[in-house]
Amino acid sequence: MNSVVKYEADTEKSICAEHIEKLLKDSTDIYGAIVASVDGFEIASQVRDDMSSRKLSAISSSLLALAVAVCSEGGVGECRDMVIDASEGRVFLMDIPSRKKLLLMVLCGNVAMLGKVFWSARNARESMSKDLEAHHTGG
Amino acid sequence: MAKEYKLIFTGTMGVGKTTAISVISEFVPVRTEVASSEKLSDDKTTTTAAMDYGEVMLPGGDVLRLYGTPGQSRFDFMWKILSAGALGVVLLVDNRRPDPVADFRDYLQAFRDIVEGSKAVVGICRQDSHPLPDVEAFCVAADEMGLDVPIIAVDVRSRDDVLLLVDILFHEIEAAECDSSSETVVMNTTSMRFA
Repeated sequence: MNSVVKYEADTEKSICAEHIEKLLKDSTDIYGAIVASVDGFEIASQVRDDMSSRKLSAISSSLLALAVAVCSEGGVGECRDMVIDASEGRVFLMDIPSRKKLLLMVLCGNVAMLGKVFWSARNARESMSKDLEAHHTGG
Repeated sequence: MAKEYKLIFTGTMGVGKTTAISVISEFVPVRTEVASSEKLSDDKTTTTAAMDYGEVMLPGGDVLRLYGTPGQSRFDFMWKILSAGALGVVLLVDNRRPDPVADFRDYLQAFRDIVEGSKAVVGICRQDSHPLPDVEAFCVAADEMGLDVPIIAVDVRSRDDVLLLVDILFHEIEAAECDSSSETVVMNTTSMRFA
């Protein structure tokens, strides 16, 4: 990797890391979040020590890709978000529109208000997208 | 009553799993292609993140369900998910890569449960431009692992070549079923001939 590309990757990583930190700070029900490339490489994350962010990045990538395929086959248009309702919590998956398409995965416990967490995650996605775009265009 | 058979296409990233399924599937396969962060080649910028899915109708109404795996080992959880209930595996090896025999060993090991039941076939890709290692080298490697698996050179862009792989696989599956002396042979080879 040459120095310019590495600098851009580092900046992209720090932008994502800042937004993840803010998301977890503002929404106490959220206990983990990951930003990854759509092909499963971790960009930035905050998850519990007993979790593998690398593995979760790859799995999230597959899940989102399957959701896109299901939406396409099911004729329901473009996939926007994915919510997994589990016995002890929820998982939110969504893409982050930017020059290099990324994905955001958010983990929260089942005490969380679905709407509030969803709203927070979407806000994080939007602001991250704007900051990444500004970075890419030199704004 | 028509039966359905699940087959897995696996191999390294960019070897041609999606292409192989595309050339024999009755419909445009379901794909989960995403932009690749890694440099693959000038004409390939995407990679499979979850799976490909296609189908082949056999004479008699039986259906082959074809599942393509992602190539990268970070997606190995998908290999396990897709392998569940699979009858056989088609392993594609890319001879352009730095160590194709090592790739071959890695994938045979990953799919060992299926391969050990003699339910596998291996296609060596791009031997026309990269003749080495030759088929014999792969046979030796399989031998060293104690595995007996048919290995042929193929061009996955060719429908005939991919159908040949599937045909060989069915012979393997049928032979394995006979060897295991199950009460009924699950397939009739003659019904597996492709139109």
